[in-house]
Amino acid sequence: MNAATARPLRKRFSAWLAMLVLVVGLFAPLVANEVPLLARVNGAWSFPAFVDLVGTPSPGPGDQSWKQWQTTLPADSPDFVLMPPWPFGPGETNAACFRQRPSAAHWLGCDDTGRDVLARLVHGAGAVVWLGLPAVLIGGLLGTLLGAWAGYRGRYVDTLVSRLIELFVCFPTLLFLLFAAAFFGDSRLGLVLVMASLFWTSFARIVRGAILSLRERDFVHVARGLGVSEWRILTRHLLPQVWSQVGVTAAFCMASAIVAESTLSFLGIGPGDAVSSWGAMLRQGAEHAVVGAWHLWLWPTLAIVMVVVCCHVLADRLRGDPESSDVVI
Amino acid sequence: MKRWLLVRLLWIVVTLLGITFVTFVVVDQAPVDRAELAIARGAGERAFADAGAREAAILQLRIRYGMVDPVTLEPAPVWRRYWSWLCNAATLRFGGPHDDHEALWRRLARALPVTMWIGGLSLLVGLGLGVALGVWLGLRMASRRARVVSSVLLVIAGIPEFLAATLLLLAFSSAWLQWLPASGLRSLGAENWTLPWQLFDFARHLVLPVLVMSTGPLVLVSRFVRDSVARAAQAPFVASMQALGIDSAIVRARLLRHGCAPVATLAGSLLPMLVGGSIVVENLFSLDGLGHLAFQAVTEQDQPMLMAIVVIGSVVTLAAFVISDVLHRVIDARVRLQ
Repeated sequence: MNAATARPLRKRFSAWLAMLVLVVGLFAPLVANEVPLLARVNGAWSFPAFVDLVGTPSPGPGDQSWKQWQTTLPADSPDFVLMPPWPFGPGETNAACFRQRPSAAHWLGCDDTGRDVLARLVHGAGAVVWLGLPAVLIGGLLGTLLGAWAGYRGRYVDTLVSRLIELFVCFPTLLFLLFAAAFFGDSRLGLVLVMASLFWTSFARIVRGAILSLRERDFVHVARGLGVSEWRILTRHLLPQVWSQVGVTAAFCMASAIVAESTLSFLGIGPGDAVSSWGAMLRQGAEHAVVGAWHLWLWPTLAIVMVVVCCHVLADRLRGDPESSDVVI
Repeated sequence: MKRWLLVRLLWIVVTLLGITFVTFVVVDQAPVDRAELAIARGAGERAFADAGAREAAILQLRIRYGMVDPVTLEPAPVWRRYWSWLCNAATLRFGGPHDDHEALWRRLARALPVTMWIGGLSLLVGLGLGVALGVWLGLRMASRRARVVSSVLLVIAGIPEFLAATLLLLAFSSAWLQWLPASGLRSLGAENWTLPWQLFDFARHLVLPVLVMSTGPLVLVSRFVRDSVARAAQAPFVASMQALGIDSAIVRARLLRHGCAPVATLAGSLLPMLVGGSIVVENLFSLDGLGHLAFQAVTEQDQPMLMAIVVIGSVVTLAAFVISDVLHRVIDARVRLQ
């Protein structure tokens, strides 16, 4: 079965799941938060959850939390709060629901300090997306440009870039990430840059190979004969043909970024418990599994496996490989 | 071939220089340096009269580690420190002139066999099972059973090592069944047992770590072999052999040689995978191997140990690249090394 007869991307569960995780991750503070999206306090409007996207929002009007303040509002008051779809924050503790199993109030249950598991999962998606996406974008841009340049120019440029790729491929990846996370733990930027510097090689290799085989084709010679500039040949005639391969690489890199992020946080390296992450949640869940708190390890496990598998399936689809066309996901 | 090998070895040296330099610089960027950390760790034993005495002690350590020029008290530039590290490393002394190299090598020598047992067994299991499974799948690509197995492999590929290890530990040694030991390589008091029991005990301890570490290679190899065998089965020579009425066992043997040869090129990507995997697996199963040492070195910012492990890891990786190229040449006569 080839790509043409296989199910289109928009009919696949994996594509929708990837979109969902991407959007939820990017806007995690708007999806699950203990502060409202929109509030009117004594006639003044505020948007605390939106503030959470870029900084620290106010915990509530006066010395109350938003939720307490909401319950004290009189029925005929013009003031109101509009909570996010999931009105629990990742760090919001509630002693009443300590290690509670899934219930109507907390769909996925609560952890050992009474934090809502679904809210932590949502913010864990945020950690993954905000780390993986910039790393893949930077690495992809750099790798595509260098690979295209090497493949198109050939000769000494090609040799140089190929050697550079070889050098970077030999880096012990996890070890490198480990000390990057340990040393720049609090700033995500350091980790993003280190990840990008490990990812660019895959893009560069793929693009270089593709351009190398394309540049001797007739249409390139014709275009050059017609006086089309080199830059235009590269960007308009050659690069559009490699986008699908770049997409495949991006999906694989995203999967390894997710694995790397959760591995690091599982090992307890990085920003720690303050930021929710799937790896850290799993570690906590494993500690409580012995006492029968299955919900603490099951949800992060499902999240990690589903998202990583989804990236792999998408990559296979983009490549038009027959292998996963029968996989239902 | 000889010239190729020579050029290749030269490049290995250059690559090693590049890797160690980048690692050195990154480790150097750590917000808290080694001297401060050493003082902070030893603070319980040695009380300082005041902040000045503490600063003096840190400075003394910095001079000892070669981080500060002893005459001008200026911080030494990173390239000069790298150069002095390199001069030491050339004689396999991974550290400053005042570090205890004997102790470092003793720790490495204790850790190496553990990692080699786990890694070697995982590689064997992953390669053996992976090739077998890949051939099985590749020869019946279209069958329903093969598709189900392929889908299962796809899901297994999505399970990170730490997750597999955690779930297996929960299932087989803590929460559910208590069948297998959770940590170490031998039980307490095992040295007094008879040899067969000691071996059995050793094997029991190896099951879970090897299972976790071999899944990565297994999935990679089997998917690779499956595609390669399926492609070989479509090759014209297979059809012509069949048309000539050659015995199907012979056809299959030719086809498999054709389809399995590229596995040799995979060795280059399997070893780095194991290097990464050993960090996670040894940490989770409390094995005192190289991965555990690496993790410890990162948390303690033990620069000489970290550099030693990076050198060992990259030498292994680079050697694997060369070996896989040579193997590919040996198996596939059409490949020319230039």
